[in-house]
Amino acid sequence: MGEPVLVVIFLRGGADALQLVAPASDEAYLAARPDFLRTDRAGDAAGIALGGDLADVDFRLHPAAAPLADLHAAGDLSIVHATGLLEPTRSHFDAEARIERAGGGDGGASGWLGRWLRVARPEGPLPALAVGTMLPDALRGAPATVAPTLDEVPIAAGHWLAPALRARILEGFGAHGPLVATAQDLVRTSELLTDRLWAPDLDAFRPYAPSVDYPDGPLSVPLRTVAQAIKEGLGLRIATVDYGGWDTHVRQADDFGGLVGGLAGPLMAFWRDLGPRQQDVSVVVMSEFGRRLLANASGGTDHGRAGAMFVLGPQARGGRMLGRWPGLENEALEDGADLAVTTDYRAVLAELLQGHMGLPDPEAVFPGLAPGRPGLWG
Amino acid sequence: MLTRRSFHRQLLALLAAGALPLPRPAGAAAGGGGGDALLNRLSFGATETSRRELASAGPEDWLEGQLAAPPGDAGLTRRLAAARLRIAYEAGDDGAGGHWPATDEMRPLGLLEADPAGLLGLLDHETAMDYAERVRPAQEVIAASLLRAVHAEAQLREVMTQFWHDHFNVMSTASEATAVFFPAYDRMLRDHAFGNFRALLGEVAKAPAMLTYLGNADSRASPANENFARELLELHTLGAGNYLSDRIGHWSEVPGAAQGLAAGYIDEDVYEAARCFTGWTVGDGRWIGEGREAPMSGAFHYAEAWHDPYQKRFLGREFPSHQGPLADGEQALDMLATHPGTARFVCAKIARRLLADDPDPDLVEHLAGVFLREAGALDQIARVIRALVAHPAFAATPPGKLRRPFEVLAALYRATGAEVASAELGWNWQLSRAGWRQHAYPPPTGHPDLSADWANSTYLARVVDLALYAHDQWFDGARPSAGALVPDTLASFGQVCGHWTQRLHGRADETGYGPVLERFGVSEADPLPDDPEDREHAVAMALAVAALSPAFLYR
Repeated sequence: MGEPVLVVIFLRGGADALQLVAPASDEAYLAARPDFLRTDRAGDAAGIALGGDLADVDFRLHPAAAPLADLHAAGDLSIVHATGLLEPTRSHFDAEARIERAGGGDGGASGWLGRWLRVARPEGPLPALAVGTMLPDALRGAPATVAPTLDEVPIAAGHWLAPALRARILEGFGAHGPLVATAQDLVRTSELLTDRLWAPDLDAFRPYAPSVDYPDGPLSVPLRTVAQAIKEGLGLRIATVDYGGWDTHVRQADDFGGLVGGLAGPLMAFWRDLGPRQQDVSVVVMSEFGRRLLANASGGTDHGRAGAMFVLGPQARGGRMLGRWPGLENEALEDGADLAVTTDYRAVLAELLQGHMGLPDPEAVFPGLAPGRPGLWG
Repeated sequence: MLTRRSFHRQLLALLAAGALPLPRPAGAAAGGGGGDALLNRLSFGATETSRRELASAGPEDWLEGQLAAPPGDAGLTRRLAAARLRIAYEAGDDGAGGHWPATDEMRPLGLLEADPAGLLGLLDHETAMDYAERVRPAQEVIAASLLRAVHAEAQLREVMTQFWHDHFNVMSTASEATAVFFPAYDRMLRDHAFGNFRALLGEVAKAPAMLTYLGNADSRASPANENFARELLELHTLGAGNYLSDRIGHWSEVPGAAQGLAAGYIDEDVYEAARCFTGWTVGDGRWIGEGREAPMSGAFHYAEAWHDPYQKRFLGREFPSHQGPLADGEQALDMLATHPGTARFVCAKIARRLLADDPDPDLVEHLAGVFLREAGALDQIARVIRALVAHPAFAATPPGKLRRPFEVLAALYRATGAEVASAELGWNWQLSRAGWRQHAYPPPTGHPDLSADWANSTYLARVVDLALYAHDQWFDGARPSAGALVPDTLASFGQVCGHWTQRLHGRADETGYGPVLERFGVSEADPLPDDPEDREHAVAMALAVAALSPAFLYR
């Protein structure tokens, strides 16, 4: 068994958890939502039954999420519903900043994954990879590599001047300015990755041959990159992947199935691609908030509060619906409008870091977090 | 003698033997010379010409010249007219009997000045055409943007146009609608770059590009779609710092609300603002109601039938019912444009863009005062910029802000004197690998503007690529190659290094290349190689070394 790995998939824009993991038997849901923004028990939009042990509600997964239903049925996937930020914010950027920084008590200088990295001090060529072109706030505060694919990492890979340029960067940026730490980390990572992956005969990185085909979609290359980093033995411990487009204010029905399928298909391929390394990997899927119970007049939904989190990985006891379902009756809604947050999202992450990543004391990552855990292991 | 192979061998040997000493610019963090600091803040990068102009005019007159410069100039007009952007796609059909032929042509940027009404045909799905034709207007604006940034004489206007593009971000490639309306949006932002903020805000709120990007074009009573209203408050005017929903649950508790102007906003203000803008839509022939369609104007359209006319309370102020067409939205914009929170938020962003990541709070307060005092001025933004440059903090702040990817590329071409000549958008794809999505940034925040947001590994690796390749033929960004941009009279290695140092850093006094050159088996006094290819390599190497320097990357 290798060292544990945590993959965080962030659904940017506020995924509509009420259509993704639908309380299909809930009268208030049926009354409030037009059918084209629901996942139902029967008919064209019939969802996949999850077999509820949560509040006697018949929760249905959106039909485009069939691969996730398979993982759930196999006991590898748990869903925690009605999770989110305790602070009531309905701003994307405020909610994302708060969730990813997770109250570090340092004025926002670090994110929760950055703090885990500082505590755990993992070694190896590539302990943390943010797939994409921007460092997510969750990784602030610790060295992390940002790149869309592994062959994008090294400086001027294969160029005859690469060694000189690395030296130039190390020397030239001296001991000042925002690029210093980045330069040092990148030069080190460039050399380590080039040692591992460069194929001189090809004059390129050794191509990655996944063991399964990934369906097309915006998550495919990112998740394939994460699988590659795990299987190449680069010491990966943390990976983050962003998946945008969930801000469905207008004509949600046109886009939602594609968004869900774009999550479920590539995630299933990634999971199969891992093969025996599945035992080392957990994936958490989250969003900054869910969406409003009532639709707007543009065929969409506006920013809400609680959402759902998915936890994939064989260590936890999967195949369950966790959390506390608050119901959707008017008096149960937050501000009379939105699914109420009954599980602090940090409780889910803290349980993962403790149970999967071996974090001894969650206080180091989530200062002030109340006891209570959703029970991924229990 | 210097060859590619011998270079490589010697470098590896040096690395194996230990550290490779390379020149460190004198003054390290201080960046470029005095005049360059101003030019690098208020333009896309100093050039030999702009250095001369600044030296001869002095800072005040130079700034006035920039503030007075019209958007176009003869050289820019000539370049835009000569530019060609390839369009290529395969033959296809729309599945309903419509076909289009395969196309591969070098096409002029013919849509930049087009009337949007004339482009509505691109949105008509009854007409068969490849998607590349539908989004062509956006591609042309993206192609023109690098040309403008490098060659426009009205540099400060271009810098501010980019600023407003990020502040009022529209992802031009989000849909064919955003693409079709984007040339008009770009023109509008450029025209208003130094103008009155209220006027600009009104133009943005009525811009078909914004109305389609944030979905307000579909917002109607009831419930309203809150997307535009939320970003209007959070990103365009008051800023997230004035969003108080985590602290305050009721409108009457917001400071100032009881006096008729709340200091900040809560979710209910978002909902009320959303109601104010119901019916603000686009004249694209859309169905409004029974027997009623929006005109095919390609411009803003107010659909009275979609508007929620009843009383509202916004930021503590009551709006009576039935105020009449547009009045609710206009009143909300009036309140926001003159709100002290907006003044601070917008002025802090301008100072962050033109000066430093963390502008002096006194400076921001001073600018906010100017912004509010001059709220009625047609040149309100110009007055804020003047106040910024005149403030002691402007001169007292040392360079230290990381150039963002688009700015690295533009500044590089300006410094070397290359001509932008991109028949395809390859350079744009290269920038996207560094996180820069010119006019196509998906979230409505626009590109971030703090050095820390960019100081990551993929930025640095791609900036190395730009330094190495931006003048290569295959990169398809500018002509000619680096080797052809240095005068033939440069005979020695030392002179080439000195040339790029002067061009990129604004001073010829940097020394210290000597030890590096010695390690390559040459000295500053040695002649450049005779072989054209070797000479090209040597000149390009010196350019990359000069570009990968704090003096160039920090402004």
